Amino acid sequence: MARPPRRRRHVPWAYLFIAPAVLALAGTFAYPLIEVVRFSFYSGSLGDLVFVGTANYQGLWEDPVFLTSLLNNLKLLATVPIMTVLALAIALILNAQVAGWRQYRAIVFLPYILPATAIGLVFGYLLEEDGVLNRELRALHLGVLARDWLGSATNVVPTIGSVIIWQQLGFGIVVFAAALLAVPRELVEAARIDGATGWQVQRLILIPQIRRVIEFFMVLEAITILSAIFTYVFVLTKGGPAEASSIIEYYVFENGFENGAIGIASAAVVVLLGLASILIGAYLRLRARAAEAG
Amino acid sequence: MRRLPVVVLQQLLLIGLSLISLYPLWFVMQTALKSRQAYMADPTGLPRAPTLENIIELFRAMPFGRWTLNSLAVVVVAVLAATLIASFAAYAIAFGRFAGRRLFFNLNIALMALPPIALVVPLFTVMVQAGLINTLPSVMLVYTGLLIPFSVFFLVNFFRELPFELIEAATIDGASPARILLRIVMPLSVATMSTLVIVNAIWVWNELLFALVFLQDNSQRTLMAGLTLFQGRYSTDQPLVMAGAFLSILPLVALYLGSQSFFVRGMTAGIGK
Amino acid sequence: MRTSADARNGRRRLRSGLPWLAAALAGAIAASAPGATLAAGNGDAYAGKLTYWFWGESDIPGINKWMQQRIAAYEKLHAQVQIDFVPQATDTLIGAFRLAAQSHQGPDIDTQWATLPTLTPYWEKAAVPISDYVPASETAQWVETSENTVDGKIIAVPIYLIGVPLVWNKQLFKRAGLDPDKAPATWSDFLADCAALKAHGITPFGMGNKDGYFGAWMFAIYLTQELDSLGQIESAIGDTGQFSMAQFGGLLRNLYTMMAELMQKGYLNPDVASLDLNQGWQLFPQKKAAMAFTTDGNVLAWGKAIGEANIGVAEPPRWGHGKLADVYDVTQSSDEFITSWAPDKAAAATFLAWLHTPDNLKALYAETGAFPADKRFPASAITDPLPRQLYQLDTAKQSVWLENYLPPQVDNDADLPAGELITSKSGTPDQAVEIWNRVIRKWRLEQVPAFHQYQAWAKSNG
Repeated sequence: MARPPRRRRHVPWAYLFIAPAVLALAGTFAYPLIEVVRFSFYSGSLGDLVFVGTANYQGLWEDPVFLTSLLNNLKLLATVPIMTVLALAIALILNAQVAGWRQYRAIVFLPYILPATAIGLVFGYLLEEDGVLNRELRALHLGVLARDWLGSATNVVPTIGSVIIWQQLGFGIVVFAAALLAVPRELVEAARIDGATGWQVQRLILIPQIRRVIEFFMVLEAITILSAIFTYVFVLTKGGPAEASSIIEYYVFENGFENGAIGIASAAVVVLLGLASILIGAYLRLRARAAEAG
Repeated sequence: MRRLPVVVLQQLLLIGLSLISLYPLWFVMQTALKSRQAYMADPTGLPRAPTLENIIELFRAMPFGRWTLNSLAVVVVAVLAATLIASFAAYAIAFGRFAGRRLFFNLNIALMALPPIALVVPLFTVMVQAGLINTLPSVMLVYTGLLIPFSVFFLVNFFRELPFELIEAATIDGASPARILLRIVMPLSVATMSTLVIVNAIWVWNELLFALVFLQDNSQRTLMAGLTLFQGRYSTDQPLVMAGAFLSILPLVALYLGSQSFFVRGMTAGIGK
Repeated sequence: MRTSADARNGRRRLRSGLPWLAAALAGAIAASAPGATLAAGNGDAYAGKLTYWFWGESDIPGINKWMQQRIAAYEKLHAQVQIDFVPQATDTLIGAFRLAAQSHQGPDIDTQWATLPTLTPYWEKAAVPISDYVPASETAQWVETSENTVDGKIIAVPIYLIGVPLVWNKQLFKRAGLDPDKAPATWSDFLADCAALKAHGITPFGMGNKDGYFGAWMFAIYLTQELDSLGQIESAIGDTGQFSMAQFGGLLRNLYTMMAELMQKGYLNPDVASLDLNQGWQLFPQKKAAMAFTTDGNVLAWGKAIGEANIGVAEPPRWGHGKLADVYDVTQSSDEFITSWAPDKAAAATFLAWLHTPDNLKALYAETGAFPADKRFPASAITDPLPRQLYQLDTAKQSVWLENYLPPQVDNDADLPAGELITSKSGTPDQAVEIWNRVIRKWRLEQVPAFHQYQAWAKSNG
């Protein structure tokens, strides 16, 4: 906390100022979170709920579709290190002030702001078995690489992961490039004078200097993968083929709404919250450290 | 001086990356301008006889104009409400003193990272009971709430950078906190507020999950929810679906070209300081 | 289509064109002034909006346009009524309505597929029987109402009837050295034709299963052929004892083994898993596949695309060994019902019944080629050779669309994914059967009231 205004005495206006936000947060977050935990012990539909104890949790455990969904979320976490390495490599190139670096930065960031719905629609067509990607591969005599990207159970999760990387990579690049720009030039100059090669400068000076930003990025992306990729799955595959690409969010949607099984959906939410809270804890720790470092 | 091959290699890599980033957008655009026959014959080539047929058909086949207006209405209401509410809260955190101030700030940070899916089922039941299901206010309310944590976080960080003496001087002159916020702090924060508004507006514009679940009535859908309906109904008419996708990204791309730095600053604010 | 056919009655009587025509004649006499009857039961007092979630274009290309024209005409007749027409997508038809039903808001009139997808909303008190609002003299004119009859009430009104024939491209058959006028009647004929086509570099069979509907059709067409009676599937799902899940699973295993064999031999288009049903249907009219299953409505559209003379239509080749192996697959496919939260149900009923006036039926046939589901529609109106052929197929035999006997959740969570498992080559037939076992168990546990209703319904069908 930078500057607590200690001189001020009792300040009732502050309570008035936060009251609307507190109300809004209570309505949007607190109440639903309490309710979702309560629902997870009930079965039946709205207005007709029956207490069933922990049966929903047991049901989850015995439902291979839930386990697949959970596993897919975990598999997709692999996109985080991939994205980090790629973004870092590209940010380092941009940081060398190559010609046109600002333009490149602007271009690679563009996908990040676009709606995942539209992205999903486009990639749905590009990645059909007879879609643009495979046609081009075949035209380039690389037909061996062509495959059914979304239609096959083995390919579908990596494909969704790739679409996510396509959209979010620019975010990492821009974040890293900004952090690199903030590294004091003297540090780099000093290392150069000591005879460090370009690679050594990057490995020994630049990357350690932006370590905190890298950690932040990884935790944020991990949170995204766990809790905010519903749109990709909904638009690209609807969880198919044969539920092979379902994720927890989609499982909640399908059970809670399409099947009207609120209890089991809520139990899945509680499991998700358990996982997310680990990452949220890590995120809060990073924030606190950043605040201390000022 | 770098050796030439390295420079060439770097440029090739960056050009390749740019092509990969832009190709899907190019595909949307050129497909949207093709007739269905032309697409079938050659899905990747340039549109030889560009047509606006698909764009016109969008508005004819589905209430596309209505969806766009709905999205705009939701964006305006939710973003304004959230920004206003968050401004007051952030001002109190930055300059006020109250029990649990630090906790409240950290709570906002934690809620930024909360999975929205966790809230969907209970909020759905609330909206049903309140009779708001299938109405735009249902998503406006929820989006407002969801935007607050990030907005508070973002504004607190900015307010803390403001010269404290300014606030102090105004207080000594007898200005009320509300007056200071609205008359002194806000005018100083135009750029920051614009950044926040843009980031929040994009989030609302792009949101699908709540819109899909809360807005079942065709005339009440937002653009994103409407687009998914399009996909199912017209999956065999690629140019038409791409025309829909094109219109949904057009405002974003235009805005981005106009004010790129706002985007970059705002969207990367969750990281670092 | 996710079509179906005459449900419970079908199993008892053999339907043929002749009794149908006779009934039509009798019906025409009985209801000599249907318009008058309608005006009597009327919702004319209603002023306001009726929201209509409609589906049908996938079965019958052109039916959306027909419906929009009907709505415009109806709004002219009833100036105070406004009908909000909302076409629905196949892959979200069930899910979107179930979501709406939870909040008891959304459409005043909804379209669902026949039998279970229509009876389930009725059991869940989301739909009201249309026979409560339309006089029996009128409902007696509708055909296939038995598909949606329960507790002595008719839940929904049918609009059209369609079958799912095998279609083949005669040119491509000729190119593969096959007799262009001979349909494969037995399974070994079918496999032999596929082999010949494939040997000539022609994709034998073109379908799409990204959304699971090709698999669902294979279930509907071919699992029926393995059954001895519809009581078997009802008993297995409703757990009434006569036919066990294990026995049912054995039949399913045969089906998925057959599908896996088609995949393995390369008789299906290689992109079957990445196209949805409607996308897969583009292959046949583009002459990229020699055979397909499709609805009557699409056959007519494809006839225009590649020439009627080039299209052959026949029953799907015979594969199964059950007593129902010789049924066809005609059904009303989809039907329209009034939701329990519609503010003025009589007004909705008036509109739905009005769709069956002779002028509207005539327009339906004239504009889309669909056969209206009404006894007042004269078969003599069908004059062109291809429609006549389809009509003969549709009316020659008893008819079942087996998918309609599945609770929607079982259809969505078992029928569709199990087929996807096979066409995406990501699982074995045994694993596909296991999906069914698991989903049916889950459905019985999760949807206790719906399960009990199903059970009672299965028992009453005996």
